[in-house]
Amino acid sequence: MNELIAIFIGMALINNFILVRYLGLCPFFGVSKKVGNALSMGIAVTFVMSIASLATWLIHHYILLPFDIEYMYIIIYILVIASLVQIIELFIKRTNLALYNAFGIYLPLITTNCAVLGVTFINMVENYSLLGSIVSALGAGLGFTLVLFIMSNIRERLEFADSPKSMKGLPIAFLIAVLLGLAFFGFGGMI
Amino acid sequence: MLPVGVLTLIGLGCGLLIYFVFIKIPQKVKGIEKTEEINTILPGMNCGACGHPGCFAYAQALAADPDLITKTPCTVVLQDPESLERLEKALGITLDASAMSKKALVHCNGNSETIYHYSGVETCKAAAQLLSGYKKCPYACLGLGDCVEVCPQQGAIFIDPEKNVAIVDTEKCNGCGLCVTECSLNLIELVPAGTKIAFLCNYKPLRNIPGRERCDFGCIHCRKCFKACEDEAIEWNKETALPEFDQEKCTLCLKCIEACEPNTLADFTKVKKEAELVAA
Repeated sequence: MNELIAIFIGMALINNFILVRYLGLCPFFGVSKKVGNALSMGIAVTFVMSIASLATWLIHHYILLPFDIEYMYIIIYILVIASLVQIIELFIKRTNLALYNAFGIYLPLITTNCAVLGVTFINMVENYSLLGSIVSALGAGLGFTLVLFIMSNIRERLEFADSPKSMKGLPIAFLIAVLLGLAFFGFGGMI
Repeated sequence: MLPVGVLTLIGLGCGLLIYFVFIKIPQKVKGIEKTEEINTILPGMNCGACGHPGCFAYAQALAADPDLITKTPCTVVLQDPESLERLEKALGITLDASAMSKKALVHCNGNSETIYHYSGVETCKAAAQLLSGYKKCPYACLGLGDCVEVCPQQGAIFIDPEKNVAIVDTEKCNGCGLCVTECSLNLIELVPAGTKIAFLCNYKPLRNIPGRERCDFGCIHCRKCFKACEDEAIEWNKETALPEFDQEKCTLCLKCIEACEPNTLADFTKVKKEAELVAA
């Protein structure tokens, strides 16, 4: 149990995907303009990360390891994650339209997100158990959502801030990201 | 051999899984039959010109409010009479496609003098930040092709290498308006598809910057086109000091184009022929 908690906190805060590991930076700047959009993106990423971790753990342990072809992991993981997201999208579209509208364009967009692929690689390298993989994906996803939520709140306020003309928009967002990153580095060495 | 086999099997497995999920789950969902019907008519290229994130979102909006099509029409459907008819049937309204159909028009003649050497990022967005661009006329087309990049129709808008100006192929252009919002200098305007005379200057004396002036091919406000017109199709707007064209009265006699000394006017129906010449 303690190990799972350590994995969760480690992935969510200490090795935060965006601010410490520098993964998933495009949604961090692309989708962080509105709080609503940022939250849907975060939840969609968390969801896909958990499913992808489960599927890739099974593939790693029951296909790649027995056949001794671990070096094939990148291409196989990409293939599996992409088809998984397709199936999930189809399923949600036909069964729950409200949820499909809430996810909107973000679900197909994160098919190729590096954060999703990144969490499966980390699970593999750290050799987590099945439960550990899912917990680490949940932690990574929630950490991602948290940072996106903080950033979108700040950026909504920045719209009205009296920043110099040349700094308006993305430039000031980059500076804010640096300060946010410094704050998250404070978690380093907690475990 | 083994890795190739495993990869092939996993790929096949994933494909089959998607196929079975596609067949097994309920095909028709309550409440979105109409959306699905509209979605099959829409082009499915997800260009975003209607202002919705993708064709499916547009179909949902149309199913909820059919009148939306008069405000933000799908320009690709407007070009195709067959799918337009199907869409009219699905929505239960009739549309006047020729009145709604639009074309992009670049209000610049090109050839404005270059006043400084620009060596930055090759986009109009960046170049326009520096003193409104590197042309003598602060309203001139920079010809770096932001509009070409954004155009969903391949080759409907392109850069004339001699004049360094964006040119619209009126046959290919479907009037989606993506280039209008993309142009950093606001040179592009959507005009009705039946427009006959194109006015190729956007110079405004409002912003009188020392050293920056109208090029030799811009409107000099001489009113010669107004006087030359025999069909009373040109009205002179006194406030802007620019001619305004009445497309219905115009008989395309081209007298105004002959009268125009700086060659600011052009035959909009002929622009596409010039386009073919440049392309060839």
